[in-house]
Amino acid sequence: MSKLSTIYLQYIKNYYRSKSFYLMLFLIIVISVMMTYFSLKYVNDLPRFLGSTSLPPALKETLFYFLWTFVLANIPVFASVFFGSPALSSEIENKTAYYIFPLPINRYKLYIGKYLAAVTVTLIIIAIYTVFELGTLGFLFKNLPSIDFYYSLGLLVLFILSIMSITFMISAIFNKNTYAYISVFIIYYIVFEAGSLIIELLYKVTPTYLLNEAATIIDRVYMNINTTDFLAKPSISPAPFSDIVLAMLVMIIYLVISFIIGMFLFERKEVS
Amino acid sequence: MEIFMDSLTKKYGKLTALNNINIDITGHGCVGLLGPNGAGKTTMLKLATNIIKPTSGKVEINNINVAMYPEKAMKYVGSLIEQPEFYPYLSGNEILEFTGKIKGIPKNDYLRDVKNLKDITNITEFVNRKTGTYSRGMKQRLALAVAILGGPEIVILDEPTFGLDPKGMYDIRELIKEISKEHLVLLSTHLIYEARELCDRAIIINRGNIGHDSKMDENKELLKITAENKIKIISNKIVNYTMDNDYIIIEKNKNFENYEVINDLLKEGLKIDYVEKYDNLENTYVSIINKEDSYK
Repeated sequence: MSKLSTIYLQYIKNYYRSKSFYLMLFLIIVISVMMTYFSLKYVNDLPRFLGSTSLPPALKETLFYFLWTFVLANIPVFASVFFGSPALSSEIENKTAYYIFPLPINRYKLYIGKYLAAVTVTLIIIAIYTVFELGTLGFLFKNLPSIDFYYSLGLLVLFILSIMSITFMISAIFNKNTYAYISVFIIYYIVFEAGSLIIELLYKVTPTYLLNEAATIIDRVYMNINTTDFLAKPSISPAPFSDIVLAMLVMIIYLVISFIIGMFLFERKEVS
Repeated sequence: MEIFMDSLTKKYGKLTALNNINIDITGHGCVGLLGPNGAGKTTMLKLATNIIKPTSGKVEINNINVAMYPEKAMKYVGSLIEQPEFYPYLSGNEILEFTGKIKGIPKNDYLRDVKNLKDITNITEFVNRKTGTYSRGMKQRLALAVAILGGPEIVILDEPTFGLDPKGMYDIRELIKEISKEHLVLLSTHLIYEARELCDRAIIINRGNIGHDSKMDENKELLKITAENKIKIISNKIVNYTMDNDYIIIEKNKNFENYEVINDLLKEGLKIDYVEKYDNLENTYVSIINKEDSYK
């Protein structure tokens, strides 16, 4: 346990001092500031955009939380690309494996420690955005966030665990960072996003088993508007509980399976 | 302290990097692993340090299978393989501290050890800087400090003087001599004179096979003499000699200096043109490499 925490702290240190972290930090601050600006500027114009003269305050507040979360739900993908894609491939490409592999520590501990460190720095990035979100929406609506906010946050953490696990698995396959970066992008944006679109258009079914579909639950806990699903009817009510359970299950399956495969691959990783 | 390799084979696709290697190295001292580029030296060291896994066979460190129980086996080993890199955003101090914790070195021992190591490896000047800013030589020194931190029973070094200036090379060699008095050092090197200076045993490896394995005493420095005439040599300063058409190879008694042996030979009437040191290890090395090449 103490070796695992040593590994975790070491990688946290290396992550938060890295250029990737500062780049993500910069991006998240820019996005947060833009969201704050648009929220303050258009708070009263939102009903007009939706073709209505006015919206009930509670609905307006939920709509703003939905919009903030809709943007937030995309950030883990970028964070996993930045922090996860090169996580294991860089050990080979940068030759740090020659230092770390001969140390008296099992590789699965290295894997878990680095994975947890990557998740932690992603959560730090997310926390910054969430602070902006709570500050702005608290200021505008003078309310504490509803229970949906905590559901959404919990699901977001699960999504981060899941997408980071997939990214680590991909990183464990490659010895070059570039291949890992490209593969993660391809898998998320082509296999998942485009695949989801094609399946919906061709077969008229929603591929709920794809991770990107499951991740829509993060904002659908506010309003059941699935922007990736042409078949679903948008609703201002929250997604039903069954949808939440299904999405959680999908994310957990991705998390567990990719974690096991990733660890297996890393255990057999060779520096040749 | 023991490194035991049993039927060790490593293949990369169709290429056999190591072929059925059997070696048993025990006790303190330095064992030199010699061979040309691509001979399989580094592969052997990588297998002994859990960087790669064997295709078949096994490596045991103190009777612990490295591939199966790396955490247990590597407790006894400090290593410097190829030219390792470190996490660029961490300082040398942080790397040493992390290594100490992973090796399970108690804090007081660590503080004492690290102070000595910084002096020995000459890293004090830059150890607070992030390793991403280090030169090749600085990284090599830090890697050596990491390898010997905590005084592991077995130290595995892959060309440790690579990238160092002459003073750095000298310091490292002196350090290896010191370490091998109480620890087992497995040293891979291209340099025969380095192996001769540091090691008690030499293993020559070529094309994944062991070509030669002997104690360094058996690779004595001999004298190669070119002379105008031939005589029967009788001298208590000479243990043995061989003569052919071109030169005489003399194995001298260790108690005598070279000039004393040559004086005797001159007194006996040998008309000496030229005397040079004859490196048996070097000749063995060359003959093994040439023999293998001739099979191509």
